[in-house]
This record gives sequence, C-alpha cells and structure tokens, in this order.
Amino acid sequence: MSPEHAMVAAMLLCGLGALLTGWVASRRTLAGWIAFGCVAGSSLLTFHAVARVLLYGPGKAFTFLTVPQMGFALRLYVDGLSAIFLGLIATVALPAALYSIAYLDHYRAYSVRRYYPNFLLFIAAMYGLVSTTDMMYFFFIFWQMMTLTGYALIRYEHDKPENLHAANKYLAMMQIACAATMIGAGMLAAKGVTGAVNSAHLIYDFDTVSEHLPLLLREHPIQVAVAFALFLVGFGIKLGTWPFGQIWLPDAHPAAPSPVSALLSGVMIKTGVYGLMRYFLWLVPPEAKADYPMAMWGAIIAVLGTITLFVGTTQALRQHQTKRLLAFSSIGQGGYILLGLGACLCLLASSDARLTNLAAFGLYGALFHTINHGLFKSLLFLNAGSILHATGTQDMNKLGGLMKHMPFTAITALIGSLSIAGVPLFNGFASKWCIYVATLQADGAARFLPICAVVAIFTSAITLALFMKFFGVSFLSRTSSLVAAQAARQPSLEVGWMMRLPQLVLATLCVGLGLFPMVALSIIHHALQASQQGFGTVLAKSTPVTWGLWRGAQGLGGNAVLAPVALVMVVGLLIVLARALTKLGGAQRRQTVPWLCGYARETYQNRYHADHFYGALKRYFHWLGGAPAKPQRPAPVAQTPSPPVNPA
Amino acid sequence: MSGKAIIEILGGLANVVIVLIVAPFFEGVLRKLTARIQSRQGPPLWQPYYDLLKLLGKEDIESGESPPMQRFAVYLSFAAIMTVACLVPFGSHAPANGIGDVLVLIYLLTLCGIATMLAGLAAGSTYSLIGMNREMMSLITLEPLLVVAMVIGAIHVHSFRLDQVLAGSVYAAAGFPWSGLIMLGVMLISFQAFVQRVPFDIAEAETEIMEGPLMEYSGPKLALFKYVQMAKLVIYSALFVALFIPWGHTGLYPLDVLIHLAKCLVMVLGVTWVAATHARYRMDQAIRYYALLVGISVIALGMAVYGY
Repeated sequence: MSPEHAMVAAMLLCGLGALLTGWVASRRTLAGWIAFGCVAGSSLLTFHAVARVLLYGPGKAFTFLTVPQMGFALRLYVDGLSAIFLGLIATVALPAALYSIAYLDHYRAYSVRRYYPNFLLFIAAMYGLVSTTDMMYFFFIFWQMMTLTGYALIRYEHDKPENLHAANKYLAMMQIACAATMIGAGMLAAKGVTGAVNSAHLIYDFDTVSEHLPLLLREHPIQVAVAFALFLVGFGIKLGTWPFGQIWLPDAHPAAPSPVSALLSGVMIKTGVYGLMRYFLWLVPPEAKADYPMAMWGAIIAVLGTITLFVGTTQALRQHQTKRLLAFSSIGQGGYILLGLGACLCLLASSDARLTNLAAFGLYGALFHTINHGLFKSLLFLNAGSILHATGTQDMNKLGGLMKHMPFTAITALIGSLSIAGVPLFNGFASKWCIYVATLQADGAARFLPICAVVAIFTSAITLALFMKFFGVSFLSRTSSLVAAQAARQPSLEVGWMMRLPQLVLATLCVGLGLFPMVALSIIHHALQASQQGFGTVLAKSTPVTWGLWRGAQGLGGNAVLAPVALVMVVGLLIVLARALTKLGGAQRRQTVPWLCGYARETYQNRYHADHFYGALKRYFHWLGGAPAKPQRPAPVAQTPSPPVNPA
Repeated sequence: MSGKAIIEILGGLANVVIVLIVAPFFEGVLRKLTARIQSRQGPPLWQPYYDLLKLLGKEDIESGESPPMQRFAVYLSFAAIMTVACLVPFGSHAPANGIGDVLVLIYLLTLCGIATMLAGLAAGSTYSLIGMNREMMSLITLEPLLVVAMVIGAIHVHSFRLDQVLAGSVYAAAGFPWSGLIMLGVMLISFQAFVQRVPFDIAEAETEIMEGPLMEYSGPKLALFKYVQMAKLVIYSALFVALFIPWGHTGLYPLDVLIHLAKCLVMVLGVTWVAATHARYRMDQAIRYYALLVGISVIALGMAVYGY
C-alpha cells in the first residue's frame, strides 16, 4: 500500500469509527473501545505510511475527486516532512484514545455521542491537513473539520458558561486564521498560471504555486510578502504565537476534557508549525533565493519566537490551575520551535557552508522539539487529568502530597516535568540543545541570534520553576485537607491501569528519546532526505549532526557533544556511590511526623500555596499580563480546624 | 574501548577523588578564617571531616511527606555535583569531553539546584518551601551570568567543547577582549551568590528559615547535603579559575593540580572574607542586584558577537 493510500484508509477508518461510535453511544464503554480500535487501526496505517516514506522515500502524489472546472482535486502527498507530523499525531492519538475510555466516567451527565465521533473526525482532519497539497479548498475542508470538531470537544462540558466562552473564542480565532491563510494562498495563485505545469488546472496546488513563485517573486514582491505575512498570522494563531495565542489558547485547553487537551496542545497546535515550515521553506524554490527576503522572515520569526517563549512561560508562572498553567507553557514551548525555525531561515539566507550546516541544525532542533513537546505536553495533560479525576480539582492551591496516594502518576509527572524543563537525560534537553547550538554560533547577518538564545536559556530556567511548582505543589509538599479528605473516602486515589498505561507509554518515550536522541535525529535526517522540494533540497544535503550510541550526538564537526548514554552511566554510578555512602555509618532510619513546636495546626490560611510561589520574581513580570483565571483567594475553608499535626 | 576513553574515565575519576578529599579541607579553612576575622579561636582545620563522619552514623529521621523522594533527592544532589566535577578541569584540560559540552555542563549545574529543590518540596514544611522558592528564584536570575560567561568563550573559539572553552577562552576574542574582562568583573562580584555564601545564602538562611530545604534532613542525608555544599565551593572555584585565570600551567600533572587548587583556595579566601564581613540580603534586594548584572552581561554578549 502506498503511503497516500494508507492515509486515505486511515481517514476513512476514523470516519467509519465516527459513525459507529455515534450509533452505539448509549453504551459508553463499548463506544470507547470502538473508538480506541479505530484510532489504533488508523495509527497502524499511519505508522506504515511513515515507515515507507522514511525507508523508501516518498512515492507519487495521489489524486482523486478531481473537479477541473473549479481547479479542485483532493491530492494527497506524504513526504518526509508530512511523515514526521503524521507520526506524531498517530503516537499521541493512541494513548489519548485509551485514556478517554476510563476518563469519560468523570462526565456521566454528558453523552459520549458528542465525544467519540468528534474525537475521531478531529484526528482524521489532522491527518488530512498535513498530507494534502491543496492550499485552498481541501485545506479549507480539513481545517474546518478540525476546527469544528475541536470546537465541539472544547465545549463538551457545556453546562459551564466559561467553557462555552472558551470554545467560542477558539472558533473565532480559528476562522480568522483560516481566512488569513486562504487569502494568502489566493494571492499567490491569483495571477493565472503561465508555466506548463502538468496539473495546470490545479492553480491552488502546492506544486503549481511553488513552480509559479519565482516569477511572482520577481514581478510582485510586495504581493508575495503580504501573502507570507498572512501565512505567518494564520499559522501563528494556530500555534499560539504571541500575541494571538494568549487570546484563545489558555482558555480553550483547560476547558476541554484532558485527553482532548493533550491532543490540542500536543498535536493540533503543531499543524501551525507544519504550515510555517511547509510554506516558508518548502514552497520557495532555491533558485528564487535572490528575490526571497529570507533573512528578514527568519529574523521576524526568530524574534517572534523569542518573545513568545519568554512571555508565554512567564505568564504561566502566575497560574495556579494545573491545565491553565500547562496551556500557557504550551505557548512558551511553541516559541522554542519558532526560534529554531527562524534561526534556520536566517542562517540559510547566507550561502556560507558552515552557516547552512547550522541552519539545518536549527531545523533539526525545531522538528525535534515539535516531537518532544507533543510527547511531554500530552503526558503532562494526562497527568493533570489524573489529578482532576482523583481529586476533582484543577486548583493547585488545594492540592498537596499526592505522591503518597498516586505514586505512579507522580513518577510519570516528574518525568514529564523534567523533560519539559530541559534536564539532561530527558528528551526536552536534546532538542533545546540543538536549538542552542544553532543559535549561539550564528554569525553574519544573524548576529542577534545569540541574544535570543540566552533569553531562551533564561526562559528554560523559568520553565523549570514552573514545573517544580506544578509537580512539587501537587505531588510533594504537605498533604492538603482536600487530598486527605479524598483519600479517606476511597481505598486508593491512583487511577486505573487504562489511565496509567497511556501515561507510562508517553513517559517511556520521553526518557527513551532523551537517552537516545540519535533515534529522533536519524528519523529527522531520513525525513529531510525524503522531502526534496524547495529549500528542503538544500537542507537535505547538509549533515549537521552525526551520532553513535556511546559518543552520542555531535554537531559542528565534533565541537558540540551530547552523549546521554555515557552521561547516564556516570550519574547512575555516582547515585550508587551516594547510596553506599549513606549506608556507611550504619545509621538507623526512623519515620516520624515533623516537629512543629507542639502547637501548630495546619489550616488553609497558613499553608504555603501555589499562589505564594516565586512572589519576589512574579512582581517583576506583572506587566506581562496573563492573570490567573479566577479570583485568587477562595473563601476560607478551614472553619473547622484540622486536627493537630503533632501527636504531642 | 579506546585509549582515549580510558584516559577520559581516569581523568574524571581523579577529579571526583580530588573534590571529595579537598572539599572539607577548604571548608575548614573557611571556618577558621571566619573565626579569626570575628576574633574567635575557631575549630581545627580538620573539623569538617569529623563532622561528616559523625553525621554519617547518626540516626536518620525521615519526617517529611515523601521519604522515597527525599532519599532520591539526596542521591541526585550528590551525583549531579560529582558529575560536574568530572567535567570541570582541575589542573590539566577538562577530562571528560566525550560525555557532554558546555551546554550540558550548564544544565548539570541546574540539576544540582533541582535536587535541592526536590529535597525541600519532598520535606514539605513551610520553611522548606520558602527556602526552595528562594533557591529557584536565585537560580533563574543567576544562571544567565554563567551562561553568558561560557557562551562568550564558546563564540570566541567557535566550539562548545569543554577543553576548548574552559581554558581561558573568554579572552580569545578577535579584537581586544572587552567582553571577557566585563564578564570577569561580573563573575567576581557574583561569585558569592553562586557558592551560596553570605550575603547570598538566602535559600538556606540558617538564622531565618533554619536551612530551608535541608530543614527536615538529619544523619547521613544531611552529611551528603553538607558534602555537596562544600564540593560546590570547590567546583565553582575551579570553574571560575579555568574560565578566567587559566595561566601558569607547567605541563606536569600533579604540579598543575596543586597550582589549580592554590588558585581555588585564593577564591575561597575571598569568599570567606566577604562572607565574614557582610550581612545577608533580602530576596528582592538580591534579585535587583542580579538583574543589574544580567543586564551588563547581555551587553558583554553583544560585544562578543562582534568579535570583542
């Protein structure tokens, strides 16, 4: 089966699943399993397509549903770039679908008829969006399919007015993005096709536009610039770039059920990355380089990315609701991807071989971070879902000490947190490392990039603070009265295996890619080899990074080294040494409650809350906005003082 | 396994041994000198060794909320700082080039902070949380200084390799090394904060929040944390020396180690002198101070990009 046929089959399977689950929706669990089966089947088909493209190169574009009068055909083409995004969608959709089955027990009052069919069509739409070559009609169809099903999923819990409000904002922003992108495509195609393209009637086809573009760039540079600006706005809205992301993203992500949040943040916003890469790098043929203001676009994207990552992450610091915090941090992480892409464009503008190599390194970093963010952010959203499932709250001020009660979720959340914070040995570090190497050594016209990189490193420390807070306040710190009450009510707070397994899979992938970044780098390398179009041809020629098991990944001809396998051996041995040292004196171990001077009672008022974290620092970034969702201080709950913590 | 790998492993091992042996001695010097400045007699130079040995045998009371995480945090803290020790040059060039570059080193230093913060969070007392917060905030504002210092070197030598950057690379500019000299100044006046001594021991603040993150730790765990604090002093000194004071190599390994340690000792004496004569800053005062330095270092970075 060719990759394109496999993708059509995957989409049809999802569509069929939508019909079936709509039909049996009265039996919730059955519908859930059917949905999972369809997602599993379509994921397998997708993996097949991805593997074929990566191993044997892309096939031929597959055209059907042709309407020549309107310049209209469903033309699918899976090349290396599409394959990466398809693989990511399939990888994240699978755990999310499994997680949904048990998680939806939470929403007994709402029918699953409005969940599973939308969920499946949502995934099918994303498959379509990253494999179609039609920049107008089918782009519109898939985009709307994704937007409308996403809208239905965000407002799934429709009794809460804030969810309706969030969904409406999402819908409005997506329509603006859709319009911007389509007007842009129209401007590139409107001038009538003169070249002899084999599919001449498809004036909105990607290949036609690409062939026509050098002429257009020479004769109407302003028009092309406006079109590209519209692409940047359209896909920027989707990706959640500052200032657009702040409008819809932080409201939409927390409103949706957690597995959907995982998909929205892990995968859906990545279609914006796909669009930007496809249009800014793959659409323009390298011969048109002289007319294409590449360095300018690169600078704009890189600076936009730097602002986005800083603002998004700093705003997240102020949040005290788990999913809202994660949503703001998604904006921030999108900024890293933009920075990598912008650096690539900037550096590619010069013809210097060293800088071209760095440019490819930047794109490797951007693609790698896209994959990584998809993995760890969906993991973290599932963790937040498990917390919500166990305690019924998203408010971190009311959480604490969950590690004792849900150790499994705690460990996966720790892995997710360390990954996103960019700790070595986890996947987030490997991709940030690529981006830093590319930007810090930038030269020539891209001399501002090292400053951007230092801002990014600074922001990475803020990300760490953010996730120390997320993980620490929820799972460590002192057990809160809410958690104690919940734990007293049920035998165990830990979620069932159907919700644990998806978290385990994603956490394993995070650690795996952290220890073996060469796997992802080699996938990206093969993908670039398999997408020879536009500047993709230039990027495919350079090999910025080499790798091996022990020597890890090496860039800049061996001048940048990351060898996680060797590193983990060293750290592991030293942990063993540390453990041996603590056993040396034969000290006895005794567990007891802390001594609080004999009289202290812990109440809501004298706890150290999520709101109290990083006060001295948050004050400096107040002007950036991003206020938390609700009034910070809920009504005092501790009318009845909790029993003394100390037995004395 | 190639000969190069064996040399790397032996070099890293030698560094760990050097740090483990020397760290308590430096702490002893620090205590003695502090006492003399304050007109006290002070403990014997070997007192920190005795303290560590005694703590290792004391009862280990786990009074926090998540004992498994508390244990893990202690081990991680020790492992992270000793991994850094493998990467930093002591005398000869940086030994373990094969496991990471400067960027990895920067993030491993962050990992030491993460371990302390996890320790504080796992203990869960209010003082621990306050201390952990302060630790995090100073990490955020301090990290850029070290990053800029190393990145300037990396830009000058077009490489991230440890043996190339941690060898006085900050002065390797094409023009006059303004950026390196600016960063030398910045790092000198922020060094106290990196090793977390008075007036920047805000996260621990014994007299105020009772050692913050370490409050609920005792016995062998406390011993390890104390060891890590002592090691931090040595390792940051070594890092500073390698980056800014690279001169005076003889080519004879044992002699070079001694010269390097002597330079580190000078750094420690400076730290002691400042610590003994100053009072602790508040968190907000410290952040304002760091922010100013970050501003200066960004200017230095800009100059480095243009070859100065």
